[in-house]
Amino acid sequence: MTEKTTSLLVKSLKHVLQKDIASMSLIKNVALSEGVDFFVADSKGNVLLGEKSGFQFQQELTHESIVFGIFKSKSDKGKYISDLIKLLVQKEFEKKKIGKEVLNLYREINMIYGLSEMISEKIDTKSIAEIALQESSQIIGSTHGLFLMYEPDEDKVFELASFGDNPDSEKNIVEQNEVLKNLILKGSSAIVPQERIKDNVSLQHLKAVMYAPLKVKHRTLGIVILGNKEKKEFTAAELKLLTTITLQSAAAIESAHLYQKGLKEARDREEAIRRIHEVSQKFVPSEFIKSLGKQNITEVVLGDLVEKEVTVVFADIREFTTISEGMNPEENFLFVNAFNNRMGPIIRKNNGFILQYLGDGFMALFPKGSQYAIRASVEMHKALQDYNKERVTKKRLPIKVGMGMQKGKLIMGITGDIERLDAAIISDTVNTAARIEGLSKHYGTSILLTQECKDKLTDPEEFDFRYLGPVQVKGKQKPIDLYECINGDELSLLNHKLMTLPTFDHAMNLYFKKEFAMAAVTFQQIFKMNINDKTAKLFLNKSAHLITQEINDSWKGVETMTTK
Amino acid sequence: MDKKILIVDDESHIRMLIEQTLEDLEDEGVELLFAENGEEALNVINESRPNLVFLDVMMPKMNGMEVCQRVKKELDSSDIYIILLTAKGQEIDRQKGLEMGADKYMTKPFDPDEMLAVAEEILKS
Repeated sequence: MTEKTTSLLVKSLKHVLQKDIASMSLIKNVALSEGVDFFVADSKGNVLLGEKSGFQFQQELTHESIVFGIFKSKSDKGKYISDLIKLLVQKEFEKKKIGKEVLNLYREINMIYGLSEMISEKIDTKSIAEIALQESSQIIGSTHGLFLMYEPDEDKVFELASFGDNPDSEKNIVEQNEVLKNLILKGSSAIVPQERIKDNVSLQHLKAVMYAPLKVKHRTLGIVILGNKEKKEFTAAELKLLTTITLQSAAAIESAHLYQKGLKEARDREEAIRRIHEVSQKFVPSEFIKSLGKQNITEVVLGDLVEKEVTVVFADIREFTTISEGMNPEENFLFVNAFNNRMGPIIRKNNGFILQYLGDGFMALFPKGSQYAIRASVEMHKALQDYNKERVTKKRLPIKVGMGMQKGKLIMGITGDIERLDAAIISDTVNTAARIEGLSKHYGTSILLTQECKDKLTDPEEFDFRYLGPVQVKGKQKPIDLYECINGDELSLLNHKLMTLPTFDHAMNLYFKKEFAMAAVTFQQIFKMNINDKTAKLFLNKSAHLITQEINDSWKGVETMTTK
Repeated sequence: MDKKILIVDDESHIRMLIEQTLEDLEDEGVELLFAENGEEALNVINESRPNLVFLDVMMPKMNGMEVCQRVKKELDSSDIYIILLTAKGQEIDRQKGLEMGADKYMTKPFDPDEMLAVAEEILKS
């Protein structure tokens, strides 16, 4: 210690005499005005100023009884100069000493800065604990360390990390759970007195021990215990350093916990959003969203729209009110769901999607053409026949469904206002399809379609049609040519219609040629063969009626519907 | 070793810390010079031709970047080794500093041991 002080004093002496211009000129001026010649050497005898020989007056340069140099002059007048030099050296020495202390503090700050930087990057608590112990060993010089956490839910102290060889630490932690827990909850730091180290079996391999709490605000998360197997004792400054390290570590562990909590919450939120998205997809068909050129419903904005050519199919359970009269609302709901459950998959299988459920029916879109729409309608009727067999065995009424379709342009879009959006379609095609479905009851057909649907079928041979003539629906300028697809009918009825197909066409020809008597006879023949052929019966009645009517030249056989 | 190191920083405590850090070099005959701002630094560089300059970036009256550029590109003193000192978190300056011709880059708070080792290394070559 003295050696270092002497060396620093010598350095200060050199600074005053050789480097510091202000000090040098001050000394020189005083010496000149006093007319004193002098000589200065450091404590090792190295000459710093002046000539060695011929001086009587001699004085040692000292600071707190440490000799750092020798002053010589011809007369004792030199004493003032010697004192001046001593004073200047002492000031420089103090400055240097403070400088060294500040540098040491700065070194510590830099290390702690580095430590906090290192641990703040970590998100797992174990790494934080390991780094804290490693850095402690470097900064403080501990050979052993334990990083312990207290888990209040289990009332248990556990080791997060350890440094150095700590024999039986796990066993000791379990055995001393209560002691450690109380130490942690107390939340104070201390240097453990020597006698206490000797008394404690788990500390016997160490010569110095200290600990500091892992504190966040007013909570204590755990404790860091450091030990050294050679050093006599830890100093207060080292305990202060440990406290700083534990503060940093506790904050890092807390933020790691918060980060993990935040991460979990973010994952939960994401999962919730995913589920909502999944559900919303069921409400608004993803085909609808995709047709707008969007991947996701969240991308949809008010005013999005797309124009497409599609086939619109309306389906309606006939005499729904009669069927539902015998059921309570819940049964009613279950019944509709049972029906929709059977129809939905068939529609999707045929590249269609249900845009809207209408209580006793639905509206489906087929963007890939009428071939799919008709095929789906036929398959749905077949599924319905199976369903009806089930219903009959359960003594329930069989259900009948009418379907009508139209092909044409349709604008799909998002309507509503800023708070409430809905998928909407704006289209005359939809109105017409709804009207056609309404007509299917009048004509007694299971599947009724327009000329537009029948045109451009990729495989017209797949189905069998009966031409039913033009119809003038309300709100439309031109009459629409109607066809019945018979393939969805029950087997006996289908066979009947297939067999009488040419006869039916012939009868229709007679009808349009205004040969009503012949037409009536022919329709009568068909109807007699199967009284479930309601279309034949309709035209039989019409023909029979027209026989007695005055028919003018403009009559083209257009059926005029005044109701919806 | 008849060599010189210039320490440029507007904050006196940083100058003192660097002085203390490099103090041992003084015993080997290295002279430590100081400047408080960019202008002063340029004057000292012109007069004394230091071998190494520790140069703070953020300073009043001509910042470190400009000093660096003037020394390296205008004063034809490219043999002077310049180490830029920047506060942590301003690492964006790094690329800019290197473009200005700085030889090395250190962040504050600096590691005293590292700084001393670097200075010794540079003065040796």
